[in-house]
Amino acid sequence: MKSRQLFGNLFSSPWIITFLLFWLFPLVYSLYLGFTDYRLMHGEYAWVGFDNFIRLLSDTSFLMALKNTFIFVLGTIPATTVIALVLALLIEKNFPGRTIFRSGYFIPSITAMVVIALVFTNLYSRGGYIHLLAGILGLDPPENGFLLSSKTALLAVMAMDVWMSVGYYMLLFLAGLKAIPRELYEAAEVAGAGFWRRLSSITLPLLKPVALFIIVINTIKSFQVFVEIFVMTRGRYGSSTAVYFVYDTGLTRFEFGYASAAAYILFVVIAIFSIAQFVMFRRRRLG
Amino acid sequence: MKPIKYIILSAILVVMVFPLFWMFRVSLLPADLSLTVANLISSSVTLTAYRDLIGSGGMMRFFINSAVVGIAVTAGNILFCFMVGYALSRYRFIGRKFWFYSVIFVLMIPAHIIIIPLYLIIFRLGLYDTYWALILPFLVNPIGIFLVRQYIDTLPTSMEEAARIDGAGEFRILFRIIMPLCKPALAVLAIQVFLTNWNSFLFPLILTSSENVRTLPVALALLQGHQAIDWPHLMAGSAAAVIPVLVVFLFFQRHIVAGITAGAVKQ
Repeated sequence: MKSRQLFGNLFSSPWIITFLLFWLFPLVYSLYLGFTDYRLMHGEYAWVGFDNFIRLLSDTSFLMALKNTFIFVLGTIPATTVIALVLALLIEKNFPGRTIFRSGYFIPSITAMVVIALVFTNLYSRGGYIHLLAGILGLDPPENGFLLSSKTALLAVMAMDVWMSVGYYMLLFLAGLKAIPRELYEAAEVAGAGFWRRLSSITLPLLKPVALFIIVINTIKSFQVFVEIFVMTRGRYGSSTAVYFVYDTGLTRFEFGYASAAAYILFVVIAIFSIAQFVMFRRRRLG
Repeated sequence: MKPIKYIILSAILVVMVFPLFWMFRVSLLPADLSLTVANLISSSVTLTAYRDLIGSGGMMRFFINSAVVGIAVTAGNILFCFMVGYALSRYRFIGRKFWFYSVIFVLMIPAHIIIIPLYLIIFRLGLYDTYWALILPFLVNPIGIFLVRQYIDTLPTSMEEAARIDGAGEFRILFRIIMPLCKPALAVLAIQVFLTNWNSFLFPLILTSSENVRTLPVALALLQGHQAIDWPHLMAGSAAAVIPVLVVFLFFQRHIVAGITAGAVKQ
């Protein structure tokens, strides 16, 4: 029918335009730019083949940024996932005051990252509460605060990130827990299974799909860590990350070609990780 | 409930809410550049920092910018995600599958890849450093389309068919019959879009440069870049960014949770 075709396309047009102009074209365009030496808005540029990629692989500031990104991803995701799961298990059952705890744990994750990062800049700095507390505990914090030391800057940002996002993933785990049929627990209880047995034989196996979903979306998000680095350290004290490198190279030094190549390397890394996670997920489901 | 569990949960609660409490506390201190982090712990309470926000040269401008962009983007998403979601759910047209896959595709793409090209495109379109730069690319989003499509899939088609037999046009069916039925999904969508947009930082940072269109999060981050940090003013500005979110959370907590968990359990 003609009208179906007409209205289908007409009503889809906002997406069609957005997709083509702001997603598909940029995706192709930045791949192309990655093979050019385009810098500065009105400069001339030429095709340089794989030069940018070769240069990146020996660029120490890019390699450090990439290494930090891996440290960030591999450090925060296990911590976030485990803490979120524990929180979800702690407040799973209904009890007086449950909503208060759930909301309180969740609030940091809907607050603007910029605001959280600013508050933690205060807490981490010399004389700030976390700095004071670390001193009292005898942890020997860096004299000028956690963010002005190359030993602790990245770690401090990572710790804040875990703190901020556990509430969000806790909610996802709670939704997963809710979907587990009650009868399973009842049957297990009748059979005399204790708390740990029920946890390991029912809860954890049935939460696997949710856990994998959480890990996949958190991986894609964490590989792109940027805002907290921008606000808290500006990439100094050995805390630069891949997206910060892309921003800094592309939009403060206007090396569009070089920055696009760096963005594509990260893009491929994320794609490999995501695909690997999906494959692992498939295999576990079949096996 | 054992008391020990309450103690543990409460201790965690303190850890989770203290930073926000501290933000409010610092925002109520007398604005004084000589304050260092070490002597912020004082007992005085004043609204000076908030008064300065509203005064000339304050952060009111950025708050208004954030609100204008947030409302425009939210309104656009309600309308456009609804239209697209409806089309992808109900019309069997050529290309439907392709556009649906494009939605899923964009859902999975890491956004960092478009930083450089989007900056260049916006610049070439002459939109750099305007409200349009912060609105046009974000008027419709894949999660929203997905949410609406899923919702409309569950609605029976009988009402549309009856309306069509009565001679109602497609626009009338779309806006008069289907849209009211989609209110719950659209509410979830609107709140999610507004919160995301209100808090967003990366694209407002790269697509604007002047104070005329700068949004509140970007303004806060750039203020912090200065050498001596004026904590009471900075925290009062932060509070201005947080309070609308807390209000939305207070009234629409259920919608927020629904939006977050909608995608997860189906996986």
